Amino acid sequence: MNDSEDIVRLESVEKTFRDFWLRPTVKAVDGLSLSVRKGEVFGLLGPNGSGKSTTIKMILGLLSPSAGDVRLFGLPPRAIEARRKLGYLPELSYLHPFLTAKETLRYYAGLCGLKSAEAKERTTQLLEMVGLADVAGRPVGGFSKGMARRVSLASALVGRPELLVLDEPTSGLDPVSTKEVKTLVKALAANGMTVLTTSHLLADAEDICDRVMILDHGKSVAEGRVSELGTSLEDFFLAKVGDASEFRLAPFLG
Amino acid sequence: MLSEPLTLLLALTALVLAVFAPAFHYHQFGEASRMARDAGLSAIFTCGSALAVFGAIRAFRRELETGTFEMALAHPVSRSGFFLAKAAGLFAAYLVFALTVFGAAVTIVIGATVAGRIAARTGEIATVWGPCLASGVAVAVVPLLVGAALNRFWRFRFVLTSMASALMLAIASAATFSFLIGTGALARLAPAVVLLAVYAALLASAASAFSVRFAANAAASLTGLVFAATLPFVGNYYMAEALSHGGSVPWSYVGLATLAAIPAAGAFLLLGCRFVRDIG
Repeated sequence: MNDSEDIVRLESVEKTFRDFWLRPTVKAVDGLSLSVRKGEVFGLLGPNGSGKSTTIKMILGLLSPSAGDVRLFGLPPRAIEARRKLGYLPELSYLHPFLTAKETLRYYAGLCGLKSAEAKERTTQLLEMVGLADVAGRPVGGFSKGMARRVSLASALVGRPELLVLDEPTSGLDPVSTKEVKTLVKALAANGMTVLTTSHLLADAEDICDRVMILDHGKSVAEGRVSELGTSLEDFFLAKVGDASEFRLAPFLG
Repeated sequence: MLSEPLTLLLALTALVLAVFAPAFHYHQFGEASRMARDAGLSAIFTCGSALAVFGAIRAFRRELETGTFEMALAHPVSRSGFFLAKAAGLFAAYLVFALTVFGAAVTIVIGATVAGRIAARTGEIATVWGPCLASGVAVAVVPLLVGAALNRFWRFRFVLTSMASALMLAIASAATFSFLIGTGALARLAPAVVLLAVYAALLASAASAFSVRFAANAAASLTGLVFAATLPFVGNYYMAEALSHGGSVPWSYVGLATLAAIPAAGAFLLLGCRFVRDIG
């Protein structure tokens, strides 16, 4: 693989959040370098607060790095051309509650620049795919968490992206829906789509990822192909990040 | 924006004001234009300004706080373009509102005109309230009934269909008004409504820009400061008095007042574009 096939590339990226007086409050990402290659499913794993979502947001151009360089399809992430090839599923389903499922998809299709006829066709197709065709006319504010997640997933795919960024894709889904999402991700990857995903659920990541990177305190502590770990992803993860609980239970339990 | 319950609430408040405000004044039936001026223009000014400011703050802050703004920015759209498109959408919602209330005022005037004609013929003042109240109730209730029926039987959305019905009623009222009273009074009212829309656009641009950077309370306070700073000039946009005794607002004046407002509104929109580029 050469650099030209890197869909996402981060070099020595840092992100420091600051308060109103510009004093640094927290360094969420610290000297991170990574690359996601065309056609692979790349997993960004790590405990809460390890900098996964911040990294994703820098890749999407929603946050600017304090130092280092981020490239998406070889372009700065805020370049419209780069984001034209991107689909994004956020950790929480951010939806307009008064729009119906169909209107939500048409809205995002419009933002992706799809023409009206194509948007209509794509909307119908995706609502069928995520099993929401029957409730396409209902406002999404009344949807269950799982249904809202399906709408978000369909929204991420509406612009026929080359790179799909999934932030905790199975969060809030029941086991059946979780399995469906994993099957979908595998099918998309088999069709050549590049997928960048974060997950707390190591079993899910193990099922779908070709390669993983483990983050801790904003730094990469390990990176490798899942097939070459030689152990389960959970054991690998705990060995790298540590399984010591931050809870101090002994005084509480007596 | 039109789907928001807030829009319906403010529109209803304005309609109620437009319908019942004339009853609290010493109007004589037959003074149709004066009633439309007092009830309609004041409702458009007060509730319209509230809709422009709070609609902008709510639209931007809620999108920023719930993450839908972020979701949109992750798509291939220019940040400034997205901000300006949202501001334009807010203004379009305001125009629907202003037209609806304007139509409501006109409907009341039709009722009052009919009532005045009956009173002149019969000499019985008690009979004039019938047509007047009937038109008022129609303005406030018919759109809601239509919205409720469409929602109940065909699952159309209540707020959107109610607003659409109110707008259609407004257009029908304006047409009836032109037929019964002539287009002169409508032509005199139109420039005054346009002036109010220009002032609302100025307030909405300030509120939109501030809401991108600051929390809702701070954005409302800063927009309040803009309102206070422009207070000495509000009279230039609220030209109700100019309509007294058959007077009118010349379109050349409307053009000049709009030109005066454009730099300020433009500056606020540029500030908003700057703020939206700085997000993240």
